[in-house]
Amino acid sequence: MILFKNVSKIYPPNIVGIESVSLNIKPGEFVSIVGQSGTGKSTLAKLLFAEERPTRGKIEIGGWDITNIKNHEVPMLRRQIGVVFQDYKLLQRKTVYENVAFALQVAGAPPHRIREVVPLVLNIVNLHDKHGRYPNQLSGGEQQRVAIARSLVHQPKVLVADEPTGNLDTLNAREIMDLLAKINEFGTTVVLVTHDRDMVNRLRRRVITLEDGKISSDVEEGRYKL
Amino acid sequence: MFISTYRVTKFAFQNFWRNFWLSVITITMLVMTLLTVNILIILNFVTNQAIQTIEDRVEISVYFHGSAPQTTIDNAVDYLRSLSQVKDVQTVSAQESLDRFILIHKQDEAIVASLEEIGGNPFGPSLIVKAQNVSDFDFILKALENPKFSDSIRQKDFSNYSDVVTRIKNTTDRVRTFGVALSVIFLLIAILIVFNTVRMSIFIHREEIGIMKLVGASDRFVRAPFFLEMILLSLISIFVILLIVYPLIAIFEPKFGFFIGGESIGLVNYFEQNGLMIFGLEFVGLVLLTLFSTGLAMRKYLKV
Repeated sequence: MILFKNVSKIYPPNIVGIESVSLNIKPGEFVSIVGQSGTGKSTLAKLLFAEERPTRGKIEIGGWDITNIKNHEVPMLRRQIGVVFQDYKLLQRKTVYENVAFALQVAGAPPHRIREVVPLVLNIVNLHDKHGRYPNQLSGGEQQRVAIARSLVHQPKVLVADEPTGNLDTLNAREIMDLLAKINEFGTTVVLVTHDRDMVNRLRRRVITLEDGKISSDVEEGRYKL
Repeated sequence: MFISTYRVTKFAFQNFWRNFWLSVITITMLVMTLLTVNILIILNFVTNQAIQTIEDRVEISVYFHGSAPQTTIDNAVDYLRSLSQVKDVQTVSAQESLDRFILIHKQDEAIVASLEEIGGNPFGPSLIVKAQNVSDFDFILKALENPKFSDSIRQKDFSNYSDVVTRIKNTTDRVRTFGVALSVIFLLIAILIVFNTVRMSIFIHREEIGIMKLVGASDRFVRAPFFLEMILLSLISIFVILLIVYPLIAIFEPKFGFFIGGESIGLVNYFEQNGLMIFGLEFVGLVLLTLFSTGLAMRKYLKV
């Protein structure tokens, strides 16, 4: 599903993001990428949805070589990958419904499909009764659930979550992790970037540990080691 | 295509209403800029009208001897009228000159008595010559030295005014140059204000632009509502400026008349006749400027 072959990302003048990272994530896997701050976890996530381009190596997602993806192809890639961020990245001037619908609107989805899909995903994240609220009228956990709902509207094969619990308390963080696990059960490959030890240990899924931009361990049913 | 257009339009209007105060600030800045441009147009018009009025009042009076034959005078008139530098030639007969003189000085007994003493008409026929431009008077004066009629000319009174005319010409030239320089400076300031207003507006939306890109929006889909919103803001600004400028010129027109001796300066009339062109051009200019500024300001935030 996701293939990294000797991928390096060097930022000018000579700052290493990640270095010679090779990994293979199979369809339906739930993989946690862990490591301390500045070890390249977010760089790896950004490479997945083409916010960054690799300096060296090759990246494939679902057989699509995105190593040198062209600018006009990036929106197409992002419509096929769900992305969840630590700071939710919701449009503050749009309601919950509109935020979720926006991801479909940019793809040119017809109105009847939007009317059908949006309430469905809002039900999954249990926010159907708050569809008319604006992000600033929601708690952090609710905002993150909106972001997850938005990432699900395209029924993506891959969901990338970059520190999704970073701004949440334990209770909300657990809810989000349970939601991600549920999404994974439906068959979506989930790549979770986190430094939340408890959450990773609770999951007992594959854990890839990054240290100084390199993979230091890759364990099938791992725990947070650092 | 239809769905995209509908969504872009909807987002543009949503942006406008949901960022109402930002829209108000942007419109205010655009209106201030347009006001500056229109004040410049008004000042240029008033200055030109004032200069024109002054120039129209400068004329050469050519006095012929009383014995000058009518054919010589007619030749002089025909010749002068054939010159492209001459705007108008008015003929005043000897009798008309006398009648005017009497009318002006009828209260002055000494002058009336002097005229009676002389007995006949001391005045000869005369011509009043107006030039197209103040600078043409030198040429016309030389033309009056034509031997066909120069001997019949008793006096040309322009020499008395030549200094005044030179001074007026220098002053009006300076006013015009100053006006052009002032217009250029104010236009540059106006362009900078619009450019920075748009940049500020886009800067406030920078995070939103990045989010749109991250959820899969194409550059075109992100840009289009902002472009449309700018067109909408420009249109509203033009309507606001129309509501300001027309009453303003109607109020100030009589006051401008003071500069040209109380006559109507024709400012309202000028805007009525050229309003569509003036405000149309201002709208087109404003739209082009805001679109260019928006495109340039957004470029940085679209690189996500």
